[in-house]
Amino acid sequence: MHKRNFHTQIDFMNRQVYNKIFTGTSIIAVILCCIILFFLLGVIFWNGFSAISFDFIFSPSSNFGAEGGIIYQIAGSLLLVLVSGLISFPIALGAAIFKSEYIKSKRWSKISSMLIYGLNAIPSVIYGIFGLIFFVNFLGTGISWFVGSIILAIMILPTIIFSAYQSINSVPTSFRESSLALGFTKWQMIYKVLLPQGINGAITGLLIGLARAIGETAPIMFIATAFSGVELPGSLLEPVASLPTHILALAQQATNTDALENAWGASLILILLVISFSLSALFLRLKTKKH
Amino acid sequence: MKYKIYFFAAFILLFIQACDQQESITISGSTTVLPIISRAAEVFNESESNFNIIVNAGGSGVGINQLGEGKIDIGMTSRDLKKEEIKSYPEVEFNTISIGKDAVVPVVSSEIYNAGLTTLSLNQIAKIYNGEIGNWKELGGPDKEILCIDKEQSRGTRHVFMKIVMGDKEAETPGADLVMGSNNEEQTAIVQSDAAIGMLSNAWLSEDVKGLNIKLDNGTVISPNLQAISNGKFPITRDLFILTNGTPKGNVKAFIDFLLSPEGQEIVEKSGYVRIK
Amino acid sequence: MSVLSNKIGKSYVMTSALISAAVVLLISITLLINSWDAITNVGWGLFSFNWNPSTQEFGILPMIYGTIAVTLIALVIAVPLGIFTAIFTSEILPTKYRLSIKSILELLAGIPSIIYGLIGIAFFSIWVQDIFDLQSGRTILTAGILLGIMILPTVITLTDDALQNVPSSYREASKGLGLYKYEVIKNSILPIAKSDIIGAILLAFGRALGETMAVMLVIGSIDKIPDSIFNWLNPGQTITSKLGREIAESSYGSTHFSTMIFMGLILFVFVLLLTFFAQKKLSHSNRLYE
Repeated sequence: MHKRNFHTQIDFMNRQVYNKIFTGTSIIAVILCCIILFFLLGVIFWNGFSAISFDFIFSPSSNFGAEGGIIYQIAGSLLLVLVSGLISFPIALGAAIFKSEYIKSKRWSKISSMLIYGLNAIPSVIYGIFGLIFFVNFLGTGISWFVGSIILAIMILPTIIFSAYQSINSVPTSFRESSLALGFTKWQMIYKVLLPQGINGAITGLLIGLARAIGETAPIMFIATAFSGVELPGSLLEPVASLPTHILALAQQATNTDALENAWGASLILILLVISFSLSALFLRLKTKKH
Repeated sequence: MKYKIYFFAAFILLFIQACDQQESITISGSTTVLPIISRAAEVFNESESNFNIIVNAGGSGVGINQLGEGKIDIGMTSRDLKKEEIKSYPEVEFNTISIGKDAVVPVVSSEIYNAGLTTLSLNQIAKIYNGEIGNWKELGGPDKEILCIDKEQSRGTRHVFMKIVMGDKEAETPGADLVMGSNNEEQTAIVQSDAAIGMLSNAWLSEDVKGLNIKLDNGTVISPNLQAISNGKFPITRDLFILTNGTPKGNVKAFIDFLLSPEGQEIVEKSGYVRIK
Repeated sequence: MSVLSNKIGKSYVMTSALISAAVVLLISITLLINSWDAITNVGWGLFSFNWNPSTQEFGILPMIYGTIAVTLIALVIAVPLGIFTAIFTSEILPTKYRLSIKSILELLAGIPSIIYGLIGIAFFSIWVQDIFDLQSGRTILTAGILLGIMILPTVITLTDDALQNVPSSYREASKGLGLYKYEVIKNSILPIAKSDIIGAILLAFGRALGETMAVMLVIGSIDKIPDSIFNWLNPGQTITSKLGREIAESSYGSTHFSTMIFMGLILFVFVLLLTFFAQKKLSHSNRLYE
């Protein structure tokens, strides 16, 4: 009797110790993650803020980026992603409607989902070499910002499709049935009932996609960007400057303090652009949830 | 509906912009030649506002390929073309124009140089790249393992360096520890280490990356300076080229003429190279 | 009129869907056609150790080794750290803080990889160099650590989702038995969430395989397997860093170019397979993860 009590006591203490170790480990993991997070953001913001100024943002770069600013890099990045959004948006919206309203069999629905997941998972450098082979070499476009936009458009396609599909799919079936009962044709029903919902979702997806696209380097570095001398492109088939490739060029000369400082400045601007796209997406999502 | 109108308007704007074509020259290739061309383009873009010069980096190999594939108007190279390169583009008539002279200098981290190791023979450098010598001690330097930095294979700087040092411009280097790309990247890797050796264009030497003097077989020591490069005494020198497809015409010709003019040659010198005129 | 608009509408959505599907097909075919030269001309020579385009040696094993090593390090760092953090955010942290923590994590996930590369070259490589007293901090380990941090948000967010998907009745029932939190999580929550967590790890794995810019800047880019294969303090090369550095240098149509594309194809196929397995494991796949 006495012995068993002793054992339960040990057992109890062991359990308590395990629980403490476990909770402790989780807390340590969280603290580690927080340290990493604050380090990353701290480095970017600390170094970035000391590098940027009005002049830095609004003047062109010179001396291989070590001097001057990044105005054409900002403009080029925005041009690349905004046009990619314009290309991707209508296609994604259509594909989302198709997936939601025209695919009947479960099997095909699954296949289409897999296609979207697959497209989403393709490494960004693969998009880059695809663009290089298919557009730049096979179609002979040469290095062109517009090709870069097309490739980024393909890259963000799954994000927009998925987001639009979810909001279309969330429209209750009864809405569809009642509007069809009112004598609407299928397309009228889609146009009046589903499209507004779909557009909302697609815009959220678009903003998330743009936040991702603007930071991408690998898809555009072989096919769309140039190092210096570019201002705004005069035609569809010219390269542009962009923030990520600019940072890449500067990172390779990381011991040159001027270049490094400009790299931090460009990084901060890039992060702020990413954050503003993601925050707009978040804001929009919260707003539509309220309604 | 509203959205569609926006899209439509944006597309129209784009095409209007696309039609309003400004002429441009695109240039790409060697990071060694880049400083000259980039500075020259800045000056030229200011004086000749009717067209625009776009400059890209990537290395000599990239310049040759892209010119061969018709993606650019002018290629920059810091080495001769390989036979295979000429063969891969039979329809392209490569025309090389020399715009300046440069030396490829074996460089070491300043810590090694300041410890007294300032001169090596070509044979000793070859042994480092072959992996036969692995410690600075063996060469009379401090007791530190050598960080041997190589460059990507198609880079012009590497071709020239390997041809003189190893006897084969595409030599394999069993002793190499790192492979870097542009001159900037190579320079950074050397500065970040305290026991590195690498190869750099003369224009990239600095306080932190020191150019070695080279001891010739007959015992004379040549240090890397502009004079030794221009009179050809420094053993690893090269021409800096620009490439065109056929004889240059129009805007391309105007830019090349500018590079060869006294003003252009001044830019060559300012960039740390030797003028040819 | 309505018939016409019906037709236009239908053809619009059909075309859109077709374009989206065709893109996947087009990428696969493009990669396959362009690797054909390497497969037929180099053949089994691809699976050797020497890479030297000028002597027509195209051994891709060093790149495959580098890719596996770097990804492994990343997973070893990110999986335990991520899972414990997710357990904290999902099971220990009061619910009201969850949303803000998750938003911050998404912020972390949004940092572009080129900026990770910049931080890697300006800080991590120097730390690794100093800590291990190396000649150069551009090593497989540096790239692995950096990648581990990059995939951390993926692991945390997806694991957190997986834990949240376990009905709270399980927690309450176990608690009613007087079990400690540790026992509740270990005995009833983790077994249920296991499949989803494996899915999360597979997705993170896929993402790590395809990461380019950060790895390319810090790995040292040498096409060699270290003398001891676990000596990760040596520089190396991954498929992605090789592609990033060399694709523009190889002329289109050459065997060199084709071999590069072949490596891309391997990466492509592998990542797709991982994604499909991951999606099979994930029961509540209501989010797309980049």
